[in-house]
Amino acid sequence: KGNKKKKKTEELKKELDLDDHRLSTSELEKKYGTSINKGLSSARAAEILARDGPNSLTPPKATPEIVKFLKQMVGGFSILLWIGAVFSWISFGIQLAQGAESPFDNLYLGVVLALVVILTGIFAYYQEAKSTNIMASFSKMIPQQALVIRDAEKKELPADQLVVGDIVEIKGGDRIPADIRLISAQGCKVDNSSLTGESEPQSRSCDFTHENPLETKNIAFYSTTCVEGTATGIVINTGDRTIIGRIASLASGVGNEKTPIAIEIEHFVYMVAGVAISIGVLFFIISVSMRYKILDSIIFLIGIIVANVPEGLLATVTVSLSLTAKRMAKKNCLVKNLEAVETLGSTSIICSDKTGTLTQNRMTVAHLWFDNQIYSADTSEDQTTQPFDQSSPSWAALSKIVTLCNRAEFRPGQENLPIMKRVVVGDASETALLKFSEVILGDVMNIRAQNKKVAEIPFNSTNKFQLSIHETDDPNDKRFLLVMKGAPERILERCSTIMINGKEEPLDSEKAEAFQTAYMELGGMGERVLGFCHLYLPENEFPDTYQFDTDTMNFPTSNLCFVGLLSMIDPPRSTVPDAVSKCRSAGIKVIMVTGDHPITAKAIAKSVGIISATSETVEDIAKRLNIPVEQVNRREATAAVVNGMELKDMNSEQLDEILCNHSEIVFARTSPQQKLIIVEGCQRQGAVVAVTGDGVNDSPALKKADIGIAMGIAGSDAAKNAADMVLLDDNFASIVTGVEEGRLIFDNLKKTIAYTLTKNIAELCPFLIYIIASIPMPIGTITILFIDLGTDIIPSVALAYEKAESDIMNRRPRNKRRDRLVNHQLAVYSYLQIGIMQSVGAFVTYFTVYAEQGFLPSTLLGVRVNWESNAINDFEDSYGQQWTKYQRTYLQWTGYTAFFVSITIQQVADLIIRKTRRNSIFRQGLFKNKVIWVGIFSQIGIALILTYGLGHVTALNFTPLRFQYWFVAVPFAILIWVYDEFRKLLIRRYPGSWWDKNMYY
Amino acid sequence: GLILLFYLVFYGFLAALFTFTMWVMLQTLSSDIPKYRDRISSPGLMISPKPDTALEFYFNKSDSDSYSEYVETLKTFLASYNESKQSQNIDCTPGKIFDQDDAAVKKACRFNLSDLGQCSGKDDTNFGYSKGTPCVLVKMNRIIGLKPEGEPHIQCTPKEEGTVEINYFPRHGMIDLMYFPYYGKSLHAHYLQPLVAVQLAINSTKEEIAIECKILGSPNLKNEDDRDKFLGRIAFKVQMTE
Repeated sequence: KGNKKKKKTEELKKELDLDDHRLSTSELEKKYGTSINKGLSSARAAEILARDGPNSLTPPKATPEIVKFLKQMVGGFSILLWIGAVFSWISFGIQLAQGAESPFDNLYLGVVLALVVILTGIFAYYQEAKSTNIMASFSKMIPQQALVIRDAEKKELPADQLVVGDIVEIKGGDRIPADIRLISAQGCKVDNSSLTGESEPQSRSCDFTHENPLETKNIAFYSTTCVEGTATGIVINTGDRTIIGRIASLASGVGNEKTPIAIEIEHFVYMVAGVAISIGVLFFIISVSMRYKILDSIIFLIGIIVANVPEGLLATVTVSLSLTAKRMAKKNCLVKNLEAVETLGSTSIICSDKTGTLTQNRMTVAHLWFDNQIYSADTSEDQTTQPFDQSSPSWAALSKIVTLCNRAEFRPGQENLPIMKRVVVGDASETALLKFSEVILGDVMNIRAQNKKVAEIPFNSTNKFQLSIHETDDPNDKRFLLVMKGAPERILERCSTIMINGKEEPLDSEKAEAFQTAYMELGGMGERVLGFCHLYLPENEFPDTYQFDTDTMNFPTSNLCFVGLLSMIDPPRSTVPDAVSKCRSAGIKVIMVTGDHPITAKAIAKSVGIISATSETVEDIAKRLNIPVEQVNRREATAAVVNGMELKDMNSEQLDEILCNHSEIVFARTSPQQKLIIVEGCQRQGAVVAVTGDGVNDSPALKKADIGIAMGIAGSDAAKNAADMVLLDDNFASIVTGVEEGRLIFDNLKKTIAYTLTKNIAELCPFLIYIIASIPMPIGTITILFIDLGTDIIPSVALAYEKAESDIMNRRPRNKRRDRLVNHQLAVYSYLQIGIMQSVGAFVTYFTVYAEQGFLPSTLLGVRVNWESNAINDFEDSYGQQWTKYQRTYLQWTGYTAFFVSITIQQVADLIIRKTRRNSIFRQGLFKNKVIWVGIFSQIGIALILTYGLGHVTALNFTPLRFQYWFVAVPFAILIWVYDEFRKLLIRRYPGSWWDKNMYY
Repeated sequence: GLILLFYLVFYGFLAALFTFTMWVMLQTLSSDIPKYRDRISSPGLMISPKPDTALEFYFNKSDSDSYSEYVETLKTFLASYNESKQSQNIDCTPGKIFDQDDAAVKKACRFNLSDLGQCSGKDDTNFGYSKGTPCVLVKMNRIIGLKPEGEPHIQCTPKEEGTVEINYFPRHGMIDLMYFPYYGKSLHAHYLQPLVAVQLAINSTKEEIAIECKILGSPNLKNEDDRDKFLGRIAFKVQMTE
């Protein structure tokens, strides 16, 4: 069955296989058994409806909430704690049956353990419930009503009743109710942005214009919007079989990969659980063979499990991640899935869109050519002036044409806005030209008013030029000015002279050559080039009363004067080159994936540094060496520009080869489906892949990626739903700040875990020594829970606020397999070194408390059985005094409290040393992270409250403690600090040494 | 190899450090009296013999095997009270606290076994168990420096009246103040804590008799603590068969 599912997914990944756009109307009628005029009969429609099902998307099978909840209840350490709780209840039952004196202790312990599991489970469930369902937005897109012809009548039907073969009518404002092959259309335009992410409306007609069903004009797709006009069409696909339905099922079919941090946490849980279970079982066996009662052995087992499991840690990790998520949201990275915070940090490849992400998503004038010279224009986001040389009279002429031969206008009421931010009515290049001239010349609308327009021919695809005729603003000059712009070669054809330094000179072959060179150069930069020319109409032939007729063209349109070229491009965002170079130094490969033309894509890639200045593609090398492309050694080329058509014919090995051998890759002319193939290719290399996307069709790739990044402004809802992260400003540079945060949180989680694991040994040792040396119990199970879920929580979260130790953006992304969150160095250093030191400190306090009350250490060894006997109420201490059971128990609680206080005090030192892993604390700054101090004060505050405030609540096993016992462990705390500084010093001094390898975690 | 060596040194150092700090801590302690005695401000009561199980006596007065263990325990317990063992002890003034804070050598007061009357084991080596009048010794826990106020005495009451008649030795169950205060094991080596023998003349052989003994008559000896059932009191059960 799994195989079948896989096959289905493979099928979906293939390009859409559809031939309805090729068929004629009559063939369609035949194919679908319908009639264009009469539609289907109601009976036939009902039959098809019964066969195909309703025209709606099947929601994915959602996991029932209760199952999700229960999963949280048994995940992570919960199983261990449940075992502990069950054992507690079992021993309670046994003790109750035996009529022991205080069986309820175990009942309470079981209840507390169960509560811990349930509360952390609820917390985790709540966190998960926040992440949203991908299908939600797909179902929102379903249109409500559709106008259908059935039984030769027009009917309003709910859209989910539509069947294949229905004839539907759509008009401006409607959502397309199904995939439709158009059979008639009047000025119909559709907005395909929900499908492709392109926001420019596309015209629709009944002509078959392209082999690819996605690009042909006679098919309109389900869930897209008809912007204007009307159309009639035959329904060819409904429900899940529509394009959007396939994408939806593809997105839900694409497995949600486990995030790297989830894998790391799982690894860590297994490790800790492994330690807990093996120590537990080992000591169970030891205690049984030491002739402890089975019941006692079980109680020891519970203690060992509770001591070993860091109950609060998973919640702490969640809180740390959500703190980072909040911080990232401030930097415009909205994280939907908490774990994605870290995924971004381990990203090794970013597959980025071009338009809007790397670029500003608006055409801007980039270059000018006049007087035989190319000038560069400022293309930054907030330009207010243009620095190029504007003294030439040619420029004056050119600027006049640019200003006048333009139909775009600013929306009124935006005078206070910066020019680049104003909204313009007009197409992209006219907008660029309008803003360009507004920046240089100021009030364009006024200039146009002074140069009154008398005639105009708008741009059309047959002429490929735009023309207008104006009165001049010079009152003494009664001539009309004819201005024209358009495709450069078409403009040049119409010119006989060329303006050089303000003078008209004949256009000879040499000058035409210069034009060609400039045109090629600008075009080679991936820019859209426009040519500009003008002609002052002679006053005698065209007096000011002359009536211009644009239909008959009663004015000259040849032998004009060529003035110059302007080229436009969607320029890169100014922050992007810097961000790309940061990625590069951080070892992250940036791959551009775009639907644009390869030349434009390459030009942008070069200008933002995705293809660096020195690297060459195979084609570049071929051109330089003047040899055919096939003869070039492909290994020599570091960069590659791969066309979507080439990609289509590649198998996965060939794609792997490209991804492996080239460090700088641009995929151009790619269809959205190919994005998924690219992502999978990258993942085959073992990379952690981040993908940006905005259209519905990007959602499978977004889902497949280790981290999908949707665009907040341009992105469709479906893309945002499939993504793990939403980029609020659509800016590539924000991804890089996200990477930085992700890397930081990984480092800081390491610190948090190291901090948390350390005290587990100090909690575990008491049990082991208690079993082996039979001393009175040094610490209670409840007390341990107060450390794990009380004093330690805020400090471990505080470590999430720690600043990076060094420039984390200068190292390579972590290796998924090698750089573990919890490596054995971390475990060994925490467990066997700092943990043991803490235990020693705590035991010194414990022995001090007992000795000062009359029980010298030598007296304590081996006393367990008598000490705990309820029948012995004259237990003799080292000084001959006699103690009742309760007096001993109270002393034992004092011991618990002392042990607890010692661990707390030493955890303060542990917290401080965990601030850094390599640098000296003094370099990191003891006071820079204020939250650490909040942590320290909270830790001590909670301990004070427990000891002195709740010291009289017997169930909690705390007693008011003499103040001096707080300081017994202080020397050990200082020792921990000094030892760790020493460790870090040696690591820094001797990198790569035995010490570095074993002590650096 | 290097790892092992490292941990050997590391743990060696920690062990040395532990030993050193413990040694320093022990140096601050006196060998005579503990630094703090606040956890045992008031003494607990205990009985002898003490049955292995909970404090429940089961015996058949006609079957010596059934109570021989109790008798043996009593004999062993009272051995240290023999005249021969008390040769160094002095006779103190009854009814007065025997304060010897200034004395370098603390003397112990003599406790005459004969004060325990029929429970002294002199006349009846079976301590009354064979006659249906078993003896139970009640003693108060030793606490260094404790000076009882008033006239402390032990009083035992059966849960149901009439099931048992109780005799006390010494009379009224008095605990003489001259045995206080206690100066601790090392200073007060021959100290004997005062005993009160309770002889139970059991009327009923059918049922278990619950008896509670309390220390009364002294304002600074607590006997009503909620949590500590042995502080100044003790409850036990006796069932005798024939």
